[in-house]
Amino acid sequence: MRRQILITVAASTLLVLLAFLIPLAWLVRASAADRASSEATLGVQPLTSTVGLLGAGLPGVVADTQEQLGEPVTVFLGNGQVVGTPRPVTDSVRLARGDVANRVAPRAFSANLPDGGREILIPVVGLDAGTAVVRVEVPAAKLTDGVATAWWVLGGLGVSLLALALLVADRLARSYLGPVLALTDTAALLGAGELSARVVPSGPPEVTAAGRALNRLGSRIGDLLTAEREAAADLSHRLRTPVAALRLDVDGLSDPEDRERMARDVAELSRAIDQLIAEARRPIREGMVPACDATAVVGARVAFWRVLAEDTDRELTVSVAPGPLRVRLVPGDLADAVDALLGNVFAHTPDGTSFRVVLSSRAGGGARLVIEDTGPGLPGGDVMSRGESGAGSTGLGLDIVRRSAEASGGSLALVPAHDGGTRVVLELGPPS
Amino acid sequence: MAHVLVVEDDPSIRTALNRTLGERGHAVSSAPDAMSGLREALDNRPDLVVLDLGLPDLDGSELLRMLRAVSAVPVIVATARDDDASVVRALDAGADDYVVKPYSAETLDARIRAVLRRASSPDEEQPLVVGGLYVDPRSRVVTVDGQTVELSPREFDLLAYLAARPGQVVSKRELLTEVWRLPYGGADKTVDVHLSWLRRKLGENAQEPRYLVSVRGVGVKLVEPAA
Repeated sequence: MRRQILITVAASTLLVLLAFLIPLAWLVRASAADRASSEATLGVQPLTSTVGLLGAGLPGVVADTQEQLGEPVTVFLGNGQVVGTPRPVTDSVRLARGDVANRVAPRAFSANLPDGGREILIPVVGLDAGTAVVRVEVPAAKLTDGVATAWWVLGGLGVSLLALALLVADRLARSYLGPVLALTDTAALLGAGELSARVVPSGPPEVTAAGRALNRLGSRIGDLLTAEREAAADLSHRLRTPVAALRLDVDGLSDPEDRERMARDVAELSRAIDQLIAEARRPIREGMVPACDATAVVGARVAFWRVLAEDTDRELTVSVAPGPLRVRLVPGDLADAVDALLGNVFAHTPDGTSFRVVLSSRAGGGARLVIEDTGPGLPGGDVMSRGESGAGSTGLGLDIVRRSAEASGGSLALVPAHDGGTRVVLELGPPS
Repeated sequence: MAHVLVVEDDPSIRTALNRTLGERGHAVSSAPDAMSGLREALDNRPDLVVLDLGLPDLDGSELLRMLRAVSAVPVIVATARDDDASVVRALDAGADDYVVKPYSAETLDARIRAVLRRASSPDEEQPLVVGGLYVDPRSRVVTVDGQTVELSPREFDLLAYLAARPGQVVSKRELLTEVWRLPYGGADKTVDVHLSWLRRKLGENAQEPRYLVSVRGVGVKLVEPAA
């Protein structure tokens, strides 16, 4: 943005400077030429007044005039005699002299010469020998005397003005950009979950207003999270308290069979409520930006379970892609999911069953975790439905894994493995 | 017989605790809010307080601080809050134990007895010695044949629980309830993997156990190694 401001100011300033400097430069040159012409005209003025009176003294006066001016001076007399610097009688001389027969009046004028100089011709009428013409040549160098210097001064002035404009623009850009950058930094911190981040509103009114709005947004997010935390705590209280009363009432039942059966039901209800509360707390647990490195978490959990594999004579093959593989889950949730899946392998396959763990990257980001065993395979029915695993567990573990996978933008699939065992594919999405 | 004061705002739970704890030999009084609970605790001097944190007039943790300022009565916090911050806050404020709702009468009674036992004989947490194994619950130090063993907090709790019951087979469900505080936990493989780690650190394995002996289908016991 700062660069764009500088380019814009440079372009506009340059256009304005060119619009003024180019005519001014032309004017300076024209003025210098006019000044030189005027000086030459004034220099020969005494000669034109006295050319008819000088007679034999004319050559001397012409020479003196020429010396004073430092320019060639020629007097064309009416009798055809040429005094001073020899020059041919050109059409310009004839035009200045006029032609009585053709009713062309004598007139003074100046004309440009082929070498860049200028000739000034002044007719002197009323002489006995006819109209004389006084001619003075102004060389090109004299016509442009001082122009180069003036142009250098103008150029320098233009460059100075341009530099000054850029300096002022840079200061202005900084004064605009400082608050905007502070605003951007604060927004990035809020986005990263630093909810205490606030900006000191400053700069132009629009940026100041945006800063105040961002601060209000940060406060609002904090309030909402607090409200959500309180709602989750209240949910826990409201759901667990009646179940606690129910659990204590069940303990008071006299029939041992009824007591055992109802205690199991209450335990099942309690687990479902725990899961519900855990799910309600997910936004609080995850914060603004849930993310972790799957290679680190999976590697650590596999290392943790490896000792049990050794103690139960299971061959464990592990393949973890080079990290980091970032996924949209907090480390604790991913660790819980991996623990649930590995725990299932140990719980539902006999000792000695080999299994392998493969963690790889996904094309669209995130990671794919495959856990495949050579056990007896999947039981019938939907193993991911709570309470229907049919293998001595409630299925809640898989439900937790599925919820975590879906929360990350991925999925969980259980399919038969090629060699008859179970293949679990956990797809985890990338951080947002 | 112990006098137990239940400070709980839910009338169903108060009634149920009055009945079930009474059936287990305790004299039970109750209070529905913090202020009446504090008054009851100061006037009648119960042997133990079962305290809910979600009280209508004052947070239970505040009541706990007030109680601690004037009384050394043992307190078991019994609440629906299961997050770590609440547990740590309650224990730091002076709670002697913490149970999360819903709990069974049996579990609560066991904790009441354990807390009362500790309160009556503060020196109970003596170091446990089983063969060459030395477990000190107070300093949380474990040595095997004089060599210090580094354990995670959960591994230490597991070993200390088993060492307090040498030769007694303890079921995995009991370990989940008492060590993990998961009375309804079904992930008994969690216990298995921790036992595997514990075995590694004690210098043994499942095939050649020394201290930790699995009893198939029943549980695990900690024994003195055969010479």
